[in-house]
Amino acid sequence: MTTNISSVMRPVETANGLPNEHYVDERVFLEERDAVLYNNWSGIGVEADVPENGDAKPIEFLGMPLLLIRDKDGQVRVFQNTCRHRGMILVSEPKKIEGAIRCPYHSWCYSTKGELVATPHVGGPGMNTHKDMPRSELGLYEVPSYIWLGVVFINASNTAAPFEETHAELLERWKEFDVPMYHGGEDSKFELEVETNWKLAVENYCESYHLPWVHPGLNSYSRLEDHYNIEEYGRYSGQGTLVYRQLTGQDGETFPDFPNLSDKWETGGEYITVYPNVLLGVQRDHAFAIILEPKAVNKTLEHVHLFYAEPKVDEALRAKNATQWKTVFIEDIFVVEGMQKGRYGRGFDGGRFSPAMDGPTHCFHDWVANQITNHRQQLAAE
Amino acid sequence: MSGLHNQLLAAHEHDDREGLIVLYTEAADRSNDLIERSFFLTHAFVFALEAGDMRARDLHARLHDMGRI
Repeated sequence: MTTNISSVMRPVETANGLPNEHYVDERVFLEERDAVLYNNWSGIGVEADVPENGDAKPIEFLGMPLLLIRDKDGQVRVFQNTCRHRGMILVSEPKKIEGAIRCPYHSWCYSTKGELVATPHVGGPGMNTHKDMPRSELGLYEVPSYIWLGVVFINASNTAAPFEETHAELLERWKEFDVPMYHGGEDSKFELEVETNWKLAVENYCESYHLPWVHPGLNSYSRLEDHYNIEEYGRYSGQGTLVYRQLTGQDGETFPDFPNLSDKWETGGEYITVYPNVLLGVQRDHAFAIILEPKAVNKTLEHVHLFYAEPKVDEALRAKNATQWKTVFIEDIFVVEGMQKGRYGRGFDGGRFSPAMDGPTHCFHDWVANQITNHRQQLAAE
Repeated sequence: MSGLHNQLLAAHEHDDREGLIVLYTEAADRSNDLIERSFFLTHAFVFALEAGDMRARDLHARLHDMGRI
């Protein structure tokens, strides 16, 4: 199926949003999997998922079996979780790799760096080599990965430009936050299962237009006019606030700040989507990431993680912060689920964008439409 | 060998990695047949390798000396 998305790429004043099929049609979901999520740098997890050397966690990303692992020298890597022999899944649950990854089928073994290190009986009983089985050519397929602000990004298709190049402007914008960040631990992560297409979570996150209506609690100190749009066409979008207020505990305690921040961040906060599927927020004293895992065309799992400037911050305050953000993110669920339901209305034309308020959302639509157009052109040329 | 065989089955059943390394090594040591011995040594080696056990190095050396790895 080929949808008509030309109107999406018009200027925001006259553009329509992506057609309904991009939210409800399984075929388009698969097209976007390849064109948007596999071809770009998508978030799949956090570095904190594998805190110690040898820690390994299987992850399924849009059906692709992956293995997130911290190798014996401490480097975080992502492999395809598939044995090079007969294609068996190597690791089926999080575990510590003490020595080698052993395939449970015929016991081919791989190092934590992906090298094939043992092929038992490959040349017959008790004969562990064979001239036609060169171990050096049969290591695990490594997927390009990059860690930024604690999030593990991968390029599943291995066709994108390096992460630092793709996101150079965003890295520059937030270079002050390129400092050690510490995951708050078990009480600083949670998941929300939402009956919506993953893109609607991005769209809602990018704009501040909805804040006074959907988050009236925020509006008491963070008014609509205290926010600004962030829209860098072809790159990223989101929103910023001028009135970020630190959370305080019972005795007035606050989280420690990230070091050496400029004055902008005294009361500033920014909330940006790293296209396609990672929603990031930074403030003076903590950051968060929401990794959107598309489970189906109309189902998304949101993985939320909170990060701090120091390894151990106040436990009660940490819990309070997690609760506060969870409340905000839960308030958004009826909206993204409602927009999903709305897209089964056959007359809906993708909707229109307020040129004043919806620029960041249109920026995302425009980027998605460009990814799909490029993908279609590439397929047509092959 | 049947006692050892039963011990090996139990070690597999309980995922007893230490037992698997020890018992397969013992099975190899008891055998005078090259193929059978290298078969058992291979198993001991693989379980040691998986566990990051230092014995993997010696087991590898034995297999290497036998021209089996």
